[in-house]
Amino acid sequence: MATVRKTPANVIAYLQAFPMAAIFFIFFILPICMVVVVSFFDYQTYDILIPDFVFFNYVDVFSSETTYRTYWATVRFCVITWAITLVLGFTIAHFLAFYLKTVPTQLVCFLICTIPFWTSNVIRMISWIPFLGRNGLINQALMSLGIVDAPQEWLLYSEFAVMLGYVHLYTLFMIVPIFNSMARIDKSLIEAAKDQGASSLQILTNVVIPLTKPGIAIGSIFVLAIVMGDFVTVSVLGGGQIPSIGKSIQTELSYLQFPPAAANAVVLLGITILMIVALIRIVDIRKEL
Amino acid sequence: MSKKSIDRRSFLKTTAAAATTAVAARSMLAAPAVHAQEAVTLRLAGTGVNAYNEIADKAKEDLGLNIEYTTLVSDDVVRRAVTQPTSFDLLDTEYWMLKKIIPAGNILGMDTKRIKYYDQIVPIFTKGELPDGTPISNQGTAPFEVSYLEEEGGKSFATDATEFMTAIPTVYNADTLGIRPDLIGRPIESWAELLNPEFKGKTAILNIPSIGIMDAAMVMEAMGEVTYEDKGNMTKEEIDQTIARLIEAKAQGQFRAFWKDFNESVNLMASGEVVIQSMWSPAVTAVRKQGIACTYQPLREGYRAWAAGLTVPTHLTGKKLDAAYDFVNWYLSGWVGAFLNRQGYYTAVLDTAKEYMSDNEWAFWMEGEKATAPIVAPGGEELEPAGATRDGGSFWERMGRVACWNAVMDEDRYMVRKWNEFIAS
Amino acid sequence: MARSERPPYFPLMVTIFAIFVVFLYAPIITIVILSFQGPEGGLTFPMRGVSMHWFVELFGPQSIGDIWGAFRRSFALGLMVMVCTVVISLMAGLAYRHRFIGATGLLYVAIASLIMPSVVVSLGIGAGFELAGIERNWYTSGLGAHLTWTMPFGLLIMFAVFNRFDPAFEEAARDQGASGWQTIRYVVIPIILPSLIGIALFGFTLSYDELARSSQAIGAVNTLPLELQAMQTNATTPVIYALGTLTTGLSFLVIFVTVAAAVIVRRRQDRHGSDAGKA
Repeated sequence: MATVRKTPANVIAYLQAFPMAAIFFIFFILPICMVVVVSFFDYQTYDILIPDFVFFNYVDVFSSETTYRTYWATVRFCVITWAITLVLGFTIAHFLAFYLKTVPTQLVCFLICTIPFWTSNVIRMISWIPFLGRNGLINQALMSLGIVDAPQEWLLYSEFAVMLGYVHLYTLFMIVPIFNSMARIDKSLIEAAKDQGASSLQILTNVVIPLTKPGIAIGSIFVLAIVMGDFVTVSVLGGGQIPSIGKSIQTELSYLQFPPAAANAVVLLGITILMIVALIRIVDIRKEL
Repeated sequence: MSKKSIDRRSFLKTTAAAATTAVAARSMLAAPAVHAQEAVTLRLAGTGVNAYNEIADKAKEDLGLNIEYTTLVSDDVVRRAVTQPTSFDLLDTEYWMLKKIIPAGNILGMDTKRIKYYDQIVPIFTKGELPDGTPISNQGTAPFEVSYLEEEGGKSFATDATEFMTAIPTVYNADTLGIRPDLIGRPIESWAELLNPEFKGKTAILNIPSIGIMDAAMVMEAMGEVTYEDKGNMTKEEIDQTIARLIEAKAQGQFRAFWKDFNESVNLMASGEVVIQSMWSPAVTAVRKQGIACTYQPLREGYRAWAAGLTVPTHLTGKKLDAAYDFVNWYLSGWVGAFLNRQGYYTAVLDTAKEYMSDNEWAFWMEGEKATAPIVAPGGEELEPAGATRDGGSFWERMGRVACWNAVMDEDRYMVRKWNEFIAS
Repeated sequence: MARSERPPYFPLMVTIFAIFVVFLYAPIITIVILSFQGPEGGLTFPMRGVSMHWFVELFGPQSIGDIWGAFRRSFALGLMVMVCTVVISLMAGLAYRHRFIGATGLLYVAIASLIMPSVVVSLGIGAGFELAGIERNWYTSGLGAHLTWTMPFGLLIMFAVFNRFDPAFEEAARDQGASGWQTIRYVVIPIILPSLIGIALFGFTLSYDELARSSQAIGAVNTLPLELQAMQTNATTPVIYALGTLTTGLSFLVIFVTVAAAVIVRRRQDRHGSDAGKA
């Protein structure tokens, strides 16, 4: 025991970080190194991997107007999804953290929010058709209530549907980190502000939001990173007609065009990392750790 | 000996926690291994199109062979084929993808001398012609073009039949448009109807670029807008023209959705999202089974055909390789053929399959005649009442009118780029 | 604590939460309704009668796919991923409370692992194992692949958890002579326990529902999502909806029983005037 206590703190830190670093090294860094190498390979239709050092896979990515258009579409989805999940997630987290008094109630609420995700996404994605489709529940409800005369087609296979899918899937990713940040806020701080006559709005903007910033930043990283790389939601709910970078990569991979897909993936990684670096510059998520 | 085993046991106890949980989980979950007859297990990777558990059960019964399915979506099957050949012992893949899989060098040429029913395989695969000797369409990747290798471990295709076959056909079919006659209410006779503004927002094509673009090519050729040298192997100009027209149609909101998997096409049709789309024969049956009118509409321009086959990876040797040949021979010996014919697919050896089908079944599925008694699915439920006929008619009426085959195009990188452009438009 | 005083806008906030929950359950409601399709019904409306047919079918043999085998694997894998994610993320989270070389690097690797399209990661792992001549299995390469997906979430949530975590607690414990391990075991963990449960839930759910990252890394037998996806390549019946209904129903039952048990225990303790077990 005594020896343990003598171990310098930073040696312990290395030991503590080691398992994660090791797993990432084997299962992520090594495979990704392969991907980076392959992105410089040559490619022919019937000879899919020709070891080489060529840049044209990257030239292809940057010289194509489609790339920019696709990034524009993806980034737009990202920003809108981010805004909606942020407001919604913050509100819900606020409710869970400050309006529910006991830990068990909070846990039960979290569980209730998690259960829908225990039905596989494959099944849930199919169920959007009978929900949003031409003869789906929503259209039937709208028509029987006399709100609309004809089925609303934009509900499914549209940008709206993709957005709805994203909000559905990713709000929880915003709630959890924000909630955890909020849980660290000392309740006496809020009481003190209240005693000083601060309004609810003032408490929110001057106490809660500043202290929740790291949680917000972390939630934002989640949403940003996943939406940038998504291809499942965009394919299924967009009816295959809405572009995303993930989907382009997926399409290239289905024709075993590894080098162009690898180049596309490396570019996607680079661009998204830059976005997140910028975000972390604004809010240091490791501050006061 | 016993001491040694105890030592090992105590050693095991002290291994890392993660490892033990993994081992425990494995032994807990693995099916009780039957070592009795040293049954060979073959891992069969492929899509769910023909990965029926009934076939695996029957193989176990007839051959004592364990078939372990690795069922995947088609993209994943192809990726495994080229990047992880040791992850399977048999691979069921579509013929057109062989053009990319074979050059990777992971697939063994199968010795035709060891294929018992080789001579009875439909000549579409072995000669590139129909049984009456007329050549079948060679637009696209016709199976015959990719059926043979120069040598056992070869990476290039032979132009004529050799001793080494790349794949043994499992299922194939001629695809056309499925329609909802109740919602369309008039006869449909041409592929051109897919882009008819009358069905705006109610059409779908396949979301596999090289096949989706071929659907579009069938349409454009029918409309007389574009002429193709070979719809299954377009030139850059042909690709440009086709994509330009697709972009235009998309902008006008012609398409409701693109489908990729069998089941999506069923859901699109059954839910009424789409009234006209390219489909597979069993998918039409699945829609009809729900009591919804759906016709597999024969069209004057003909069919777009595809085929899938079993291949053997190069790592297979000895007992396992023998078992693979046993399985393939058994596959062609009739029971499986009959089973798959009843799904609405066609199979490689028709003579043997016929022996396992009733006269009524054979007449309905293969000869396009009126069913004299209800047609039932392998599961027992009724598919068609007595008096029904199969859409498109007999085997020869359908396979004889193939216009092109699913394909990989020489210009596939360009095609995929243009397709992504179409999606982004 | 002003327990009686309700925070402002309480009804409004409850309403927002309720609407959100209904929204979350929208697909599930559709699934539950359609799982009672008649024997001839399909995966979409219209309903063709009402029956329990598909629940019976769910427990019989399927023509395509092995739902229960895949379910067992997915469940076991989910639990393994859950434990690994909690332990490894907690350790890494503790590490980040000190300075160490490579801290920024590891953080960006974790973020990169979130961004990289899962198909690409999966392909890399699968091909890498093939090159190294190691067989792929769900409990080896599959576990690793899932961890590259869950650990970034675990790590970043740990950041939120340790955000302004008062070191005074630990200092006090250390002053009392507690060892490093004792400090963590008896001081840190109890404080952050609810968050750890949250990460565990996250880890399990992400793994249980993971699809693309498994696809090439899982070996010969599938996880549940992969099996369900593969079943889409043939005619699929409302059996999969019956599975969804059953999963949801059982989850609710488990929660209900747990909550009921907790309430009963709490009441009994209150009645006996004991304060044991109170936070």
